[in-house]
Amino acid sequence: MLQTISLFAPQLVLAFFASQLLSTGAFAKKDISVGVRYFAVGVLVLYALIGFVLGQPTGTAFKGALIVDSYSHYMNFFLGMSAAAALMFSKSFFQTEKLDRFEFSVLVLYCTLGMSIMVSSNTLLSLYIGIEMQSLALYVMAAFNRDSLRASEAGLKYFVLGAISSGLLLYGASLIYGFTGSLEFTHIAQVVSEGATPGIIAGMVFLLCGLAFKISAAPFHMWTPDVYEGSPTPVTGFFAGAPKFAAMALIARLLVGPFGDITTQWQQVIIVLAVLSMFVGAIGALTQTNIKRLMAYSSIANMGYALVALSAGTQAGVKGMLIFMSIYTITVIGIFACILQMRIRNGMVEQISDLAGLSKTNRGLAIVLTMFMFSVMGIPPLLGFFGKFFAFIPAMEAGLTWLVVLALVASVIGAFYYLRLVKIMWGDENENEFVQAPKTLRGLAVITALLVFPLLLLPMISIPAQSWISQAAASLF
Amino acid sequence: MAIGLSHYLAVAAILFTVGVFGIFVNRKNVIIILMCVELILLAVNINFVAFSTHMADLPGNNPMAGQIFALFILTVAAAEAAVGLAILVVYFRNRGNIAVENIDLMKG
Amino acid sequence: MVVTTGLLFLSAILSWVALYKVGIGHEEADIKVLRWMDVGDMKADWAFKIDTLTAVMLVVVNSVSALVHLYSWGYMSDDEFKPRFFSYLSLFTFAMLMLVTSNNFIQLFFGWEGVGLASYLLIGYYFKKDTANAASIKAFVTNRVGDVGLALGVMTVFLVFGSVNFDVVFNAIAENSDRRLPFLGMEFNAIELIAALLFIGAMGKSAQFVLHVWLPDAMEGPTPVSALIHAATMVTAGVFLVCRASSIYEAAPITSGFITAMGAFTALFAATVALVQNDIKRVIAYSTCSQLGYMFFAAGVGAYSAAMFHLFTHAFFKALLFLCAGSVIHALHHEQDMRKMGGIRKKVPITYAAMIVGTLAITGIGIPAIEAKIGFAGFFSKDAIIEAAYSAGIAGSGSGSFAFWVGITAALMTSFYSWRLIFMTFHGDYRGDKHTFDHAHESPKVMLVPLALLSLGAILAGAVFYKYFMGNAGDFWHGALPSKYGAGHAAIAPDYLMAAAEGSADGYDTVKHTGPFAFLFNTFHGYPRWVLFLPLIVSLSGLFIAFMMYMRGEGAAKHIRTVEETGGGPLYNFLLNKWYIDELYDVTIVKGARKLGDIFWKIGDVKIIDGLGPNGVAAFAAGSAKRLSKIQSGFLYHYAFVMLIGVAAIIALVFRTVGG
Repeated sequence: MLQTISLFAPQLVLAFFASQLLSTGAFAKKDISVGVRYFAVGVLVLYALIGFVLGQPTGTAFKGALIVDSYSHYMNFFLGMSAAAALMFSKSFFQTEKLDRFEFSVLVLYCTLGMSIMVSSNTLLSLYIGIEMQSLALYVMAAFNRDSLRASEAGLKYFVLGAISSGLLLYGASLIYGFTGSLEFTHIAQVVSEGATPGIIAGMVFLLCGLAFKISAAPFHMWTPDVYEGSPTPVTGFFAGAPKFAAMALIARLLVGPFGDITTQWQQVIIVLAVLSMFVGAIGALTQTNIKRLMAYSSIANMGYALVALSAGTQAGVKGMLIFMSIYTITVIGIFACILQMRIRNGMVEQISDLAGLSKTNRGLAIVLTMFMFSVMGIPPLLGFFGKFFAFIPAMEAGLTWLVVLALVASVIGAFYYLRLVKIMWGDENENEFVQAPKTLRGLAVITALLVFPLLLLPMISIPAQSWISQAAASLF
Repeated sequence: MAIGLSHYLAVAAILFTVGVFGIFVNRKNVIIILMCVELILLAVNINFVAFSTHMADLPGNNPMAGQIFALFILTVAAAEAAVGLAILVVYFRNRGNIAVENIDLMKG
Repeated sequence: MVVTTGLLFLSAILSWVALYKVGIGHEEADIKVLRWMDVGDMKADWAFKIDTLTAVMLVVVNSVSALVHLYSWGYMSDDEFKPRFFSYLSLFTFAMLMLVTSNNFIQLFFGWEGVGLASYLLIGYYFKKDTANAASIKAFVTNRVGDVGLALGVMTVFLVFGSVNFDVVFNAIAENSDRRLPFLGMEFNAIELIAALLFIGAMGKSAQFVLHVWLPDAMEGPTPVSALIHAATMVTAGVFLVCRASSIYEAAPITSGFITAMGAFTALFAATVALVQNDIKRVIAYSTCSQLGYMFFAAGVGAYSAAMFHLFTHAFFKALLFLCAGSVIHALHHEQDMRKMGGIRKKVPITYAAMIVGTLAITGIGIPAIEAKIGFAGFFSKDAIIEAAYSAGIAGSGSGSFAFWVGITAALMTSFYSWRLIFMTFHGDYRGDKHTFDHAHESPKVMLVPLALLSLGAILAGAVFYKYFMGNAGDFWHGALPSKYGAGHAAIAPDYLMAAAEGSADGYDTVKHTGPFAFLFNTFHGYPRWVLFLPLIVSLSGLFIAFMMYMRGEGAAKHIRTVEETGGGPLYNFLLNKWYIDELYDVTIVKGARKLGDIFWKIGDVKIIDGLGPNGVAAFAAGSAKRLSKIQSGFLYHYAFVMLIGVAAIIALVFRTVGG
């Protein structure tokens, strides 16, 4: 019994405290949002670390509905940490916008619970429950600013399109269930290995399309720019990091688990998604003037690069995806911590031109943001370079050289808008000056900046981290 | 003519298609979109239940799983509808109408 | 400034120690520092190979460099970019040391390009002067032509020997001597091909005829630079290369003959041009060119030790001449035209004395055919070269006897133009601006000390080191050069070279002439006495002619006036315009290249590469971005439509390829 509980202790922690906080908040006499936020951050950190405290147990729980392995431990750690970071950087924004409600923290907790179920799911049912739990929380978070037309429009668009994608996913799940006779991944894998019928393949394609929506891979990316733009900025920052990573991790688990024997079939789907995403992301960003929209296209392109790694279908590919997504998530948190500092006296600004002359007015911010830009561009020695490196090498080894060439071309196109940002910061005349940002934001930006460059490159950190990720990737096979 | 699995599947597929088409052919009302989403979920439920009842009781196969899944879908769909309608209400308060054509503040 | 100069003096002293240890004590070294390249079979190290050859170069480079650094304190005192100047100088010295200490062709190539870069930077040091910029580009481009040869040579070495390490390559020459390689549609002996390609590189760097055009223009750089790079060290890199690769040239008789002829011709050509130049630095520059020719034909006939000896002594007296010229220029407020000089010997007595020493050295004044070694530096080395050429001629080498007679003729001219320089600059009446003359002053001590030290070198270097370089005292070369009696090389060294190298009495001393001129035809150490005396005689004749023309009566002033009135004869103009080589290049190569470049630029670059490449992609991306942004209409039903189209397309794709 204790053994079983220790297996799903992370989810248990989240579920328990989320419900607890919800009821506490609902019945509290006065506004307790600040306390709830810090408590929720604590819960998320606990969630991230509890697997290690308990000695990383492995096995299945809930009669095989959830699987706990190195992969899910790694993901739990990363999701918890990035959700905690997102929660931290939401603080100053919501307070100054007078939006601070305790429900936001609770929603983040539920969303993280959904994500953790996603990455540990071992049946189609738990997969669906995880996705829905995550998505429903995200729909609400997107529309969290109730009095803003943009935010509610973003929430509405996200909801409607998300519902369609859920429909696609479920349709695929039903087909797979019908043609394999089971919802369990292990059994599905067994049936698939004996020969995949068209029904299974069709189901798999529907399933992948539904999941592609969650990672905003083209052509299922249409919601991304609008939702990124409309949502409150901290929500956008949260969107861009953890949920994408969780969905990507789920895709990887699906592809090498139940569908591990039909690599040739899913490989082309992934390649199509990857190529479209990379180019839509890179080209679409060219004309953007809103920095959040820009980040949306940037994330579309980056999902494409992660899919390039996955398309190899090998253990090295999964490892490359994990490394790439980890680095990307860290970078995105840093970038949004910077974007959240773009506040002038009249309120938040989010146009790229507002960054003009940043190097003169706020040199620290300019340096940090420039570093992030160079990192996502993939300029060595910044981490982003290694992310792309590890993502592309497996595809090369799998003989997909042309795909890597395309990825590099897309990277070059993408470099344009990152460089434009840098140029605006360092070259243009400044128009307005940002007000002093709160300590949490500056601290987050600096910490992530330190991670992106010097710290994670230190051998005593990078080597154990790599072996940890290798172990996580290996546990899928 | 006995009604077999394929008939159920065909109905489900037709429902699914109707739902999908309803989403982008309709340009009037967001409520209709929500209804179309429900149609899609309904199609999936029919699929699950049909598969479940027509499934041989082979080892490893779990005939009941599909029906349980359908129940879960119903539950989640209810939650989804609640969230969706709530967002719609918020939107309506801000915008004053819920015509699909007007939801284009953000584009490009 | 203090740091670079101090360190260089230290390394100069150390390099003398190294020369002593390696040359006398035979403590050779080959130190691998680290592996530089390891690509397949291609392996190259950063290494220091110190044998006598390297030690000699180290002494030359470090000593002259140290003195030039010191000299620059004074010469560049009113320059506003001194740190830049000194860092360039040090960069040059570093690259040059890399070049000479290399144990493989790759590091040598690195040093080679490094000195080329430093040379380019230093020639264009006065970046505000158009002529300096043009000259630096000219030097760079001309050197590139040579470098292509060198690079091809190194590649061919690797192709043939599978290694770029000197020792490995040189030890494998015998077994590869019959290999043939196709090149430019023809088939060549591999060794000859390598030798020729490497020599093309040497020609570029050492300003041999055809590729010499950059050297005179390089005088646009500051004078200390001219002394260091374009007289004493860098331009001798070509000679060093040929000597370093002497094993290859020993096995490549055709190329060696070509080198002899080319060297001799350059010696003559440059000397003729130097006869009529009016710019004090250009005279010395052509003189350098000419002396390099000497070194090459010495190397060509196989007298590598003579070539190195001349390189060694030349470094001292040529650096001395340049620094003296610099001192004069400094004194006269950057006036370089000798027509506007004259009679300044009383103003700059020390410079004058040093210049006289330098001139005596370059013209080779000394007492031949006696056992005691009395004479200036150039006397020993130049005579060694001429004797070697004579011996080669006697032994039947056509290019050898050509080189001998050319050497004699060039020596006459050398003497003439060197003394002409002295007479025009220091004697007669001052012909320039009165104000400048009044302000003319002797240079500060930091400039005079290097002059004194170099004078010492110019006087003594020959006499002291003759027995080491040319004799076999203490087995100086210790196998570093093949013309020695080294065990491995004796077989391939021709007899006459042994005689030339040692100056021994055996072999040619048997015939005794009689008659009135018997004294002249009888031999001394294997050479007829007239051969030994001839260089001295022509040298004195040169002095005499120069004296008659420029000192008697009105002297220089009259000649200048004559030229101004008559415009000079056709021969005079032919020489003054450097045989119209520059004009020839301008018409053929420069214009041609510009046309070709135009074609490549307008059609190749703009239309094809830019059109399809950067601009095309950019335009495509911008266009696509607009279209994408149109698709992103903001309408829900469009978004849903795209998604469903996507699903349909992907399903179609999967089932098309699966065939299900």
